[in-house]
Amino acid sequence: MAAQEPELHSQPQQNGRQPDRSHIFLGLGRVPDAAAAKRGEGLYQQNCQACHGAKARGGIGPNLVRSVLVLHDDAGEEIGPFLKEGRPQSGMPSFAQLTDTQRTDIAEYLHMEIELAANRGLYKHSGEMTSGNVEKGRQFFAAHCASCHSTTGDLKEIGAKYSQPAAMLARIAWPENRGPRQATVTTPDGKALTGVLEHYDDFDTTLKISNGSTTTWPTDTVKVSIPDKLEGHRALLPKYTDDDLHNLTRYLLTLK
Amino acid sequence: MKRPFFTKFAQLAAVAVLSATASIAQQAPPPSGLNPTALELFHQPADTWPTYNGDYSGRRFSAIRQITQQNITDLKIKWKYTITGIPPLRGSGPLIIKSTPLMVHGVLYFTIPDHVFAVDARTGKEKWRFDFEDHGGHVLGQRGVGMYGKWIYFLTPDGWFISLDSETGKERWRKKVADEKLQYFTTMAAVIVKNHVIIGVGGDAMDVAGYLESRDPDTGEMQWRWWSEPQKMGDPGSETWPNEQSMRHGGGMTWLPGTYDPELNLIYWGTGNTNPVFAGQGRKGANLYTDSIVALNPDTGKMVWYFQGSPHDTHDWDNVETPVLFDMEIDGKPRKLLAQAARCGYFFVLDRTNGKYLVSKPFTKTANWSKGIDERGQPIPDPDKEPKVDGSMVDIASNGATNWPPPSYSPQTKLFYVNATEGYSVAYLYDTSPQPEGYGGGSSGAFDTHSSLIALDVLTGDVRWKHIPKGRGAEGGGMSGGILTTAAGLLFTGDSDRLAAFDATAGKILWSQKLDHHVSNGPSTSVLDNKQNIIVGAGDTLYALTLDGK
Repeated sequence: MAAQEPELHSQPQQNGRQPDRSHIFLGLGRVPDAAAAKRGEGLYQQNCQACHGAKARGGIGPNLVRSVLVLHDDAGEEIGPFLKEGRPQSGMPSFAQLTDTQRTDIAEYLHMEIELAANRGLYKHSGEMTSGNVEKGRQFFAAHCASCHSTTGDLKEIGAKYSQPAAMLARIAWPENRGPRQATVTTPDGKALTGVLEHYDDFDTTLKISNGSTTTWPTDTVKVSIPDKLEGHRALLPKYTDDDLHNLTRYLLTLK
Repeated sequence: MKRPFFTKFAQLAAVAVLSATASIAQQAPPPSGLNPTALELFHQPADTWPTYNGDYSGRRFSAIRQITQQNITDLKIKWKYTITGIPPLRGSGPLIIKSTPLMVHGVLYFTIPDHVFAVDARTGKEKWRFDFEDHGGHVLGQRGVGMYGKWIYFLTPDGWFISLDSETGKERWRKKVADEKLQYFTTMAAVIVKNHVIIGVGGDAMDVAGYLESRDPDTGEMQWRWWSEPQKMGDPGSETWPNEQSMRHGGGMTWLPGTYDPELNLIYWGTGNTNPVFAGQGRKGANLYTDSIVALNPDTGKMVWYFQGSPHDTHDWDNVETPVLFDMEIDGKPRKLLAQAARCGYFFVLDRTNGKYLVSKPFTKTANWSKGIDERGQPIPDPDKEPKVDGSMVDIASNGATNWPPPSYSPQTKLFYVNATEGYSVAYLYDTSPQPEGYGGGSSGAFDTHSSLIALDVLTGDVRWKHIPKGRGAEGGGMSGGILTTAAGLLFTGDSDRLAAFDATAGKILWSQKLDHHVSNGPSTSVLDNKQNIIVGAGDTLYALTLDGK
């Protein structure tokens, strides 16, 4: 999730980020007060937006989300007095007519805008698609997917199960269920055993068979066959255009 | 060159070098510590691992050859040191050693965020520990310390540059070098070049500008600062930005140690991703000098050349991966070269005197985000592969084709080795405004993703061999950590929950040792009491391995 995050390769990607954890991880300090920020938003629009732009991202006045003064403020102790005094020499008027609470509310609104930009744990996928064509998706499905899947069989009502477009797209591209796989292990003495692969790496292979017993072999002494259920999906990955994926997503979202 | 794996001569020579330099400086040699002359381009003193990469080249190739392909089965754990008494770090979970320890006079110096450890390399017993309490910044990694004489240099998550006494762990001074309130943070291992301590910064949550600094080893005062972006419109490179506002908030962090060629007197550094990270609509253009390899004069901080690995990056593809230096004869001519396996999925080989490219080629899949390369060998980004509201799929894995764990180059095999991730991911645009901020999007999906250890031919960029580990996350398989190669034809790296040794020529596993966690740093090696030690970090534990474990 972060530029420097190493991702030990064998660990699966975590989806479903925890906002609280990301706030702490990023060292963002105090969590802004949502109610005060909401009050501050209206005050900002009335008093500040004309110069500092929508969402405080700058206009004829500076961008306040990236302002050093704002970023150094904790809870209005810098921004409050600044608003009261203004900076007349550089065209920033005084807002002495506002109450202390109103000035603090404006500060809180700015802190919320910073939080929304900086805390990527709060980012959300769009619930609505902006592209894709149902009919083209239907055609792609017929040409590339229908030999294995059926919209009235295994994919019946799939659009209800994955109603969020990004979740649907991920399911289309790589519908893998993470977790141990079924495998057949041919043992050193030539016996073929089928079960669940509990552990499998370059060194050890552990298979659990239906009676619940597990056996471990050095990997280089056995042959492990794992059915490749995703062969068709793997073959499509290098072929998809983004339009193909968007069309398919649109189409499958209609299956509710 | 045939050289006995270690000799009394080598040790005496190291002492002689130390004394010679001391007499030149006309002062008594320090009672302990590391003389900066121990730092060389292509040579590591046998009894020392003096810097993050072992020498200035970043090759992580050691001439020590006591451990061989024949006797490797006798390689055993001599001791392990597990960090105790430190709770999980804020928001970042279990303690993980990502630093490469320095080995100086029988002591290993290594770090995790907020903490420095000095451990006796003979016994694995803690000599001292330095604990710091941060007031912000990210705690996701710490690459290690730099050393100059008896002094250690350490960077904290919240931008403090601290000098410690290597004998006692006592603080000498601290200087503020980065503002954590602006979301800068500091994780790198300082690089010592002559009388310069070179330090870089991280931080891409709030659209700040990257920089690299040189600091005085005695006082900690700044000698120069190089910014990752031009400072005003009209300066060279500013034509790759639409306006000064976007340029001065363009990112380009310098968070991994660079390399140095003393003869050319150039440091080579990678710069990180552009900001806003995934939303490029407010910064049309190539966005120099983010996502680049830059060659700087270490005395002045002036840039001599650049090569941009990921122009107009919209995928968080920090181009900070180690720029590895090596020499080679090509068509009968000796060449000074530099190679990098970049996070964007390209392998670059450049002439390090001028930045001209010899190789520029994808090393995992096709790098479908690019439309080929320009006349300088730099990839040309395809605008249609920028993040989209509905997603845009690239054939690069979600966290990049590779990342910070150190690669290796062996002059014996003439191969460049990198732990890579192969697969597909989808980049989404969340912030569609004309002036996006922060990340503004994200990457997700792990489609047909697996790790691999890849050996690349530096003349062609072709994959000479590739090891794809069996199994995958849920079952236990996967490559991890950095790579070390040795003159005995060995390659050490993490595979699954083990430290493994491969035949560097053929890519076959020759030996492995189970550890308590995945390998989490770059393995290193040095000679102690006539025994070759392999030092490796895995999670919260540091291991020393020797033949017979003695």
